[in-house]
Amino acid sequence: MRYVRLFALFLKASFLVELEYRANFAARAMVSVFWAGVTLVGAGVFFSHTETIGGWTFNEALVIIGLFTFMGGFIQTFLQPNVQRIIEMIRLGTLDFVLTRPINSQFMASLRYSQMFSMVDMLLGAGIVVWACIRLGYAPAPVTLAQFAIMLSMAVLIVYSIWMVIATLAFWLVKVNNMAELFNSVYDTGRFPVTTFQGLIRLALTFIIPIAFITTFPAQSVLGRLDATTLLAAVAMGVGLFTVSALFWRHAVRSYSSASS
Amino acid sequence: MARKYLALMRLSWGLSLEYRAEGFIWLMTNLFNVIMLLVWLSISQAGPVNGFSSADFVAYYMIGLIVRQLTAAWSSWELSFAISEGRLSPQLLRPIHPIHQEITVNWSEKVLRMILLLPIVVAVLILTPGVSLHVTPASLLAFAISVAGAWAIYFLADYCVGILAFWTTQATAFSNVLYGLKIVLGGILAPIQMFPPAIQSLLEWLPFKYMLAFSSEIALGQATGERLLFGLAAQWAWVLALWLLMRGLWRLGIRSYGAVGA
Repeated sequence: MRYVRLFALFLKASFLVELEYRANFAARAMVSVFWAGVTLVGAGVFFSHTETIGGWTFNEALVIIGLFTFMGGFIQTFLQPNVQRIIEMIRLGTLDFVLTRPINSQFMASLRYSQMFSMVDMLLGAGIVVWACIRLGYAPAPVTLAQFAIMLSMAVLIVYSIWMVIATLAFWLVKVNNMAELFNSVYDTGRFPVTTFQGLIRLALTFIIPIAFITTFPAQSVLGRLDATTLLAAVAMGVGLFTVSALFWRHAVRSYSSASS
Repeated sequence: MARKYLALMRLSWGLSLEYRAEGFIWLMTNLFNVIMLLVWLSISQAGPVNGFSSADFVAYYMIGLIVRQLTAAWSSWELSFAISEGRLSPQLLRPIHPIHQEITVNWSEKVLRMILLLPIVVAVLILTPGVSLHVTPASLLAFAISVAGAWAIYFLADYCVGILAFWTTQATAFSNVLYGLKIVLGGILAPIQMFPPAIQSLLEWLPFKYMLAFSSEIALGQATGERLLFGLAAQWAWVLALWLLMRGLWRLGIRSYGAVGA
């Protein structure tokens, strides 16, 4: 409970900061709408030459695009700002101010800041998913929605864990920003069904950098086409990666001796 | 002017060598082209798409990689920060326009990028069966002129966006949109031939296709004869227009510029 209250406080603080920069908020919101438009126009061009991509029709692929936009917004809102600050704090030695607080250091370090204007992407993404369902004339059953809720939570856990592992690497490496950049570039594949890609690339996008679990598989669950194996794999992947990231963080903090000492 | 450029070049080359590890980040921007190529390859499995076979897509995107890296520009970021933080003032005192410094920084980065990128592209082009490029002395010359024009268009457009920082604090949002337009309408998302005919003929008159796709079309032998001449004329007309726009904006901007702390 205490952590929920703290998280609400963090959100409020970030929101108040952003209210100071309203012109920035407006400009960023426009950019978000623009990029969502780019993704949709792109899909339109691709699908004007083919009925299906990777076995998905245009309307079905819209669900993936919606989730891609939503999760991209989630990364920009909650993960990127904190991870950037963690890397900065490790370099400058100011991480000590986080570690000495009487709460879980990973919680504090990874959720303290949020970039509210990127929530526009989350809203747009959710809107696209709903729009896709309307175009398909499809209303998900309660069981389907429950499955989707699980898949979405696991997707969130997976991206969170990946970003935290990257941030934690900054305890030992200097150029960690490049790895975040690498993730963002690979994430671009998430706007297409993972079945678009062949062979080793598909394997890598499923198990090594599991983009499939972030957009394609949750989209399958919206459409009620999820098999039990994938659901279990997602839960295992989410819980497993989160455990790894938490243990890794704890190990890093334990062997950390500030910047100046 | 040549001697001034030589001095600036030496300075910029030193800077790029110092930050060569940052080169990894731009390498990642190439991944977007590769992803688009993979998607088009999955679509063209069933047969050619609007005249593009799988090998054509490979050739188009590989040449596109080179053109994209040769024509990349990012000076609007530097310029808008310099303006909003007041760092522009010392640069204004120099006997040479600040744009020239940015140009040499841009060029020396490119030398480094080509050393890394060219071997990969050449290897892929040789190893992919069925790739055919249109190589004659005339087409090579046209390709070089078009790449120079593409660079000038994007660099000037981007610099104009940077100049907007004299009036707004949100110039980087505009540069983001300009970049997005290049991705969609410039031929990175899809070759221009994949768009509906009406949009294709509209794009003939807009600057975006001349930022990238036009050069790839020359290399693939899709723009020859009259089409080639029209393209080059349109491209360099845009270069001239953007250059005049840049000069005009700059003059207005300097007039309204009151440096922070001055």
